[in-house]
Amino acid sequence: MGDFEPKIVSFLCNWCAYAGADLAGVSRLQYPSNLRTVRVMCSGRVDPAFIIKAFREGCDGVLVSG
Amino acid sequence: MAGIGAERLHLAWVSSAEAQRFVEIATATVESVRQQGALDGEAFAMALEAADMTVNSETIRWLVGKEVKITTKGDVYGRPWDVESYEAVLHKELEREYQKNLIMLAIKKGFTSVRDISAEIGIDLLRISYLLADLEKTNMVEFTGMQDHKPVFAVL
Repeated sequence: MGDFEPKIVSFLCNWCAYAGADLAGVSRLQYPSNLRTVRVMCSGRVDPAFIIKAFREGCDGVLVSG
Repeated sequence: MAGIGAERLHLAWVSSAEAQRFVEIATATVESVRQQGALDGEAFAMALEAADMTVNSETIRWLVGKEVKITTKGDVYGRPWDVESYEAVLHKELEREYQKNLIMLAIKKGFTSVRDISAEIGIDLLRISYLLADLEKTNMVEFTGMQDHKPVFAVL
């Protein structure tokens, strides 16, 4: 389990967290590469069905950030 | 409810100017999920499918869509609802739909008697009988006859 790399789907709001992630990239801050980002126009757009779908497709965790 | 662990789902608010905060949250999330290990997709396949069916069901969609109207203007009979009683109804309905979907999936997998369904999904016999009667009324399952003195059901 020591070298287990979790797959995490992150739903990021275009105006908040996505811009934050972008800025983190531009500022060359290091963060883990386990996140698979889905950009949404608002975190309210995220339906519970999306989260269940992500888990069903085999990801280990979900992050919703707005 | 599906038992995969609430700790696998993280929710956080980050403003566009807070790159440092995003990095912290991303790192914490990855670490937390890493600690919990890989999600056993096989073990939770049925629970997740039932959960998927539940959140996409007509009843739940209607109920969620009407929340603001019901809690501010009241229901169609003009009765006012406070948020707590609305949420109590929603949770009860979510549980009921979820259990009904689990039963349907169990029957599809070949567990056709009440006792077999109970052993497969871990809900008690009385609750399953009650929900089966409900599923029969709405033409979702059908009583197909007796087998070894046990009633047997099929999904329509």
